[in-house]
Amino acid sequence: MKETQTLTASDLRCWSCGAAAGRAHFCPCCGKIQPLPPDTDYFAFFDLPRRLGLDERALEASYHELSWRLHPDRFAQASEAERRLSLDRSAQLNDAFRTLRDPVRRVEYLLWLAGRRREGEARQQAPPELLEEVFALNETLEELRQARHAGGEAAAEASLRRQLEAEQQKLETLLAAVDAELAEAAAAWDRALDSGAAAEPLLDRLNEILNRRSYLRNLVENIRQEMAAD
Amino acid sequence: MAYSEKVIDHYRNPRNVGSLPKDDPNVGTGLVGAPECGDVMKLQVRVNPVTRVIEEAKFKTFGCGSAIASSSLATEWVKGKTVEEALQIKNTEIVRELNLPPVKIHCSVLAEDAIKAAIGDWKRKSGLAEAAPASAPAVAPAQE
Repeated sequence: MKETQTLTASDLRCWSCGAAAGRAHFCPCCGKIQPLPPDTDYFAFFDLPRRLGLDERALEASYHELSWRLHPDRFAQASEAERRLSLDRSAQLNDAFRTLRDPVRRVEYLLWLAGRRREGEARQQAPPELLEEVFALNETLEELRQARHAGGEAAAEASLRRQLEAEQQKLETLLAAVDAELAEAAAAWDRALDSGAAAEPLLDRLNEILNRRSYLRNLVENIRQEMAAD
Repeated sequence: MAYSEKVIDHYRNPRNVGSLPKDDPNVGTGLVGAPECGDVMKLQVRVNPVTRVIEEAKFKTFGCGSAIASSSLATEWVKGKTVEEALQIKNTEIVRELNLPPVKIHCSVLAEDAIKAAIGDWKRKSGLAEAAPASAPAVAPAQE
């Protein structure tokens, strides 16, 4: 959040009647669809604060309402420019909804907005305490693949499978714990936001939790695929 | 995504795959991972304690083609270099050599990290870790 925002909602005026339109989808005065201000993030699109806890049913309800109101079909008779605005806003609506409705993607997005997860900018660190385990696990997976490829040695394959099943269970347990940790950190972020306390360190924590989570998810997914392979 | 020819070559014929004995005092092991994609990379070097030349390098990477190619290339490049020279290898050189697209830059970063981790491990084992403040710029900001 280094660049100072030059656009403030009060600067935004309706292209048609000149009334103050803010970030509204439609001009409050003449009702015309408004262009999307370039710095409108997904939270702002739904007129939401950058909180991680949100009412998912209310979000879905506004999504349905907006998809109807912004739908290009409703602008079939409008000017070319308005048809484009409806397309722009509809596209943004879908992206925003898909991102915000998922609690994990919501965190990812918040971190992205805060500059924590941009490719080439902030480097992501893998959890070092997991690396050894991840490596060993990948080796077991590879052994299983090779054993299957070579055929025969059913006993060896069965033992590898048992090993992986145990590993998978362990990972699922870890994953559940990480999810709980994520939910807790997200709630802490909201509390800090509400009270105006410094929330920056929480972003680092969320980022770290998310890293561990994606690592575990990948592993669980790899094992699942491997087990289902035959 | 289309991989460059060089990436495909390293992927199909990876150089120096394997491992070195971890407990050998002259062997340094670097284990690094990229959380975005779940890649893990192990890179090992065997250093001649007298000349400080890396005489052997091995890697094993679980990950995408670019991660495998980056680590394969890294082992080729560190071999024959002194540890100081090897520490100068930058991820951007790997990006250039392999023609990695922006989304795969983190694979080259991983390879650079793996080299540094392996050499760091060797230094620690050899009792050189503190004695070598020369490695101050070891973690260069990865930007392109």
